[in-house]
Amino acid sequence: MLIKLLNTLLMIVVALSITGVINRTRALLSGRKGIRFFQHVYNARLLLRKGAVYSPTTTALFRIAPCVYLGAAIMAFLFIPVANLEPVLSFHGDIVLVAYLLALSRIAIVLAAMDTGSSFEGMGAAREALYGALVEPALMMGLATFALFCGYSSFADIFSTAQMFDTNITIVMLLLAYVFLIIMIIESGRVPVDDPRTHLELTMIHEVMCLDYSGIDLAMINIAGWLKNAIWAMIAANAVSVVVCFHWEFATPLAILGSGITIGAIESLRARNKLSRNTTYILTIVAMSALVLLTGFLLYQNIDI
Amino acid sequence: MFLYTLLAAVIATVLIFVAPLRAKVWVATSVISAVAIGALFLVVSTLLGGEITLARFTTDLFGAERISVDAISALFLAIIAIASVATVVYSRGYVEGYFKRFSPTHISLHYTALVLLVVSMMFVVVSSGGFSFLFSWELMTIASFILILFEADRQEVRRAALNYLVMMHIGFMFLVAGFVMLYNVTGSANFAAVECYFKVAQPLPLFVVLFLGFGMKAGLFPMHIWLPEAHPAAPSHVSAIMSGVMIKTGVYGILRLMQAIDHNIDLLYTIGLIVLLSGIITGLWGVILAAMQNDIKRLLAYSSIENIGVILIGLGVAAVGHAAGSNLIGMCGMCGALLHIVNHSLFKTMLFMSAGNIYSRMHTTAMNQMGGLAKHMPVTAILMMFATVAICALPPLNGFVSELLIYIGMFNGVSDGHEVLYAIGGIIALSLIGGVVVLAFSKLYGVVFLGSPRSHHVAECTEVDSQRIVAMALPAMFILVIGLLPQYAIRPVALVAEAVTGGSSAAAVASFMPMLQTLSYIGLMLLLLIGLLYVAKRRAQLKRKIEAGPTWGCGFTATNTRMQYTGESFSEGLESIGKPLMKDTVDGRAVDKGEIFPSEHNYEIKHKDKVDSLLGQWWVKLMHRINMYVMRLRTGRVNNYVTFALVFLAVVLVFTIVGIL
Repeated sequence: MLIKLLNTLLMIVVALSITGVINRTRALLSGRKGIRFFQHVYNARLLLRKGAVYSPTTTALFRIAPCVYLGAAIMAFLFIPVANLEPVLSFHGDIVLVAYLLALSRIAIVLAAMDTGSSFEGMGAAREALYGALVEPALMMGLATFALFCGYSSFADIFSTAQMFDTNITIVMLLLAYVFLIIMIIESGRVPVDDPRTHLELTMIHEVMCLDYSGIDLAMINIAGWLKNAIWAMIAANAVSVVVCFHWEFATPLAILGSGITIGAIESLRARNKLSRNTTYILTIVAMSALVLLTGFLLYQNIDI
Repeated sequence: MFLYTLLAAVIATVLIFVAPLRAKVWVATSVISAVAIGALFLVVSTLLGGEITLARFTTDLFGAERISVDAISALFLAIIAIASVATVVYSRGYVEGYFKRFSPTHISLHYTALVLLVVSMMFVVVSSGGFSFLFSWELMTIASFILILFEADRQEVRRAALNYLVMMHIGFMFLVAGFVMLYNVTGSANFAAVECYFKVAQPLPLFVVLFLGFGMKAGLFPMHIWLPEAHPAAPSHVSAIMSGVMIKTGVYGILRLMQAIDHNIDLLYTIGLIVLLSGIITGLWGVILAAMQNDIKRLLAYSSIENIGVILIGLGVAAVGHAAGSNLIGMCGMCGALLHIVNHSLFKTMLFMSAGNIYSRMHTTAMNQMGGLAKHMPVTAILMMFATVAICALPPLNGFVSELLIYIGMFNGVSDGHEVLYAIGGIIALSLIGGVVVLAFSKLYGVVFLGSPRSHHVAECTEVDSQRIVAMALPAMFILVIGLLPQYAIRPVALVAEAVTGGSSAAAVASFMPMLQTLSYIGLMLLLLIGLLYVAKRRAQLKRKIEAGPTWGCGFTATNTRMQYTGESFSEGLESIGKPLMKDTVDGRAVDKGEIFPSEHNYEIKHKDKVDSLLGQWWVKLMHRINMYVMRLRTGRVNNYVTFALVFLAVVLVFTIVGIL
């Protein structure tokens, strides 16, 4: 019970800190003083206190969608273990459930965007739906690689049996961490796929879908975004810590710093893709993920022989 | 048995024809309900007590046959019963709109065909094979042909119906060939004889021939091309029963074949691979084409193809898993596939009925003329939302349960090291299908129900009559039950799976029962969480200022509804991937980039299936060529025709003399 509590607390810490680390990294690299570490949390608190503006075009779906978005993200969040700790929820096959819960949250926000009747939000919705569809195989193959090595299909079991890992598979696990990091970038709408800071609605993806949200709804969407970031960052960190040091004291800072600094650095150092190139970019990750799985499979066969 | 059925059918037909116009539907409803109740009674007693034989008889053609209900038949009887009751209840409001357009005889014919379709489908799944199977199979085709022809005054309907009839008979030929092969070798054309055939003769040719025959009905790639033509042409409740249940009879046949391969591991393996591969191709092809369609019913038709793909993936996983020696993988795949058969029959029925509600108000199924329908048809919108979440296989509804089982089977394959590469192939395909389905249905729902209206017809739409809503709520109830209480729903399905695979399912079911139990809690928790978040939000907002303001137009003040994203633009990104699968036909001309002040343009693009032209065009061309030659004989002069008659007589005379005739 305590372990589960600790696991959840650590995950919340990860969720709250990643955005802060990204912001600090960006400020540092561009030579600015930057905003406070927890500025995004203050912003969300501010939003939670505000009223709201709803467009008369929208239906009840628009008001329920943020709750579905956040609710599904929270449920998925509860399945993720921090290294050797035990997650709150777990069952045989939960890796599929997590992927589909995230799909549920995606369809909620996509439909909400369509509900506003705005051309820009339709654009964002169409892109989000497409990228989400394309990234799904990469995600599943990543999870299948875990299943291949651990012989389980639930997050908790995968990472609890992970200590017996051979050093042979270091390369596979590192690549897997890379794949999940890129999935995190795609899903959370970061450079080079999407730019949360952009001011041109024509080229935005995630942010443009939330244009009509304000107040509590927007806060919910932001919070769900943090939770999702924590999910991806933690899976990636777990993959690394499996071969380095499988302990929560190592995995938690790794999840925060590893993904935060990487994303911050990428955002400062490279430009975003041309939108038409995004499909290719995502398919490259799918191919990468397939490659990891195949390499893993070959290594696995060797180990057995 | 046969005579009584015939007599009952004749009485039902006569009753439908003599009943007053508005009472015809009630006659059909009572007949179908009676049949459905009888069928459900059989289902329950079969699942509790084992196989029931209703009749035995001998036909001149194929020898001894019988009508009996076993576990597999019971599953199909159940979905036929539920879907047919929902359909006939729904049909009242839908057909009423046509009373002015068609004569009472036309309406009677429609209802007679509907009753016939239901009864023949039931006979298909309880027949032991051979003549009675082929007979009811053919009856089913003809009944559905008449049903598709309902709006026979439209040319595209006639064309689609004819296309359907031709395709079905090609499939039927395969079936006849298969049964004749079976009869020649074993002396019986029952499904039970297939097992014997597989032992004594080369099994693959028979399997392939029958697989093609059943695949035609199920809509397997590349034999799926009748589906996207027939569904938009048929009335919506007919599409609902055809797509929800009738195409499953093809899967039923495939299941019967798989049941016959018990202990032959090599054969099981080969067949598993064939089924898995065709499932993957069918699923991916169906879903990508579905996402590209701009017509509601075409989209739903392609989605049916995709779901058949998913079912076959499950069956393939089951067969390969059993061949690899893992009972758990086999049971997961089989239970997933069987549950998906049930699930798809529920949500696809609902989806086609929603499409029917829209069609009866908008008089079109082109989604780019809709938008904002949720405000005018709120109940339809809610029910359609329900079905959309279910068909996207999202938790906590039923579609997720069946796909989860198939996934678990494949992940078990990966983690236990059984046939890893095939399992991986299945995982990639299923996850891609899952992703694109979300795209396709968010497009469908978003463009039709949300946003602002794209044409003035939307404003005149009103909610449909409550009887149609009730008809849609019936499958919705089952969707909810299977989704939230999967641990109970799986029990009968596991019984059926046991009957197909022949092994004991207890151990495998016991191993995934805790999972379903947890899933049930998690589904309820999810709903509770969403509800709590919503209530909390509403409470917090009570004291705050909630304003209404126009949708943010990004600084542009002259926005209008035509600037909204359309269905076509929504799936534009997928086009780069889907392009090789399609052949676009364009009507009119798009606005040129160089046109600074564009004049009025008319532009319509249709994404046609490439297979359609591959399969359809060459024989049309061939027929044209043959016709050209034949047309030369048609000179229009009587003396020429007399000569032809004379030549014919002379040839006959010569043949008689030589002794050929």
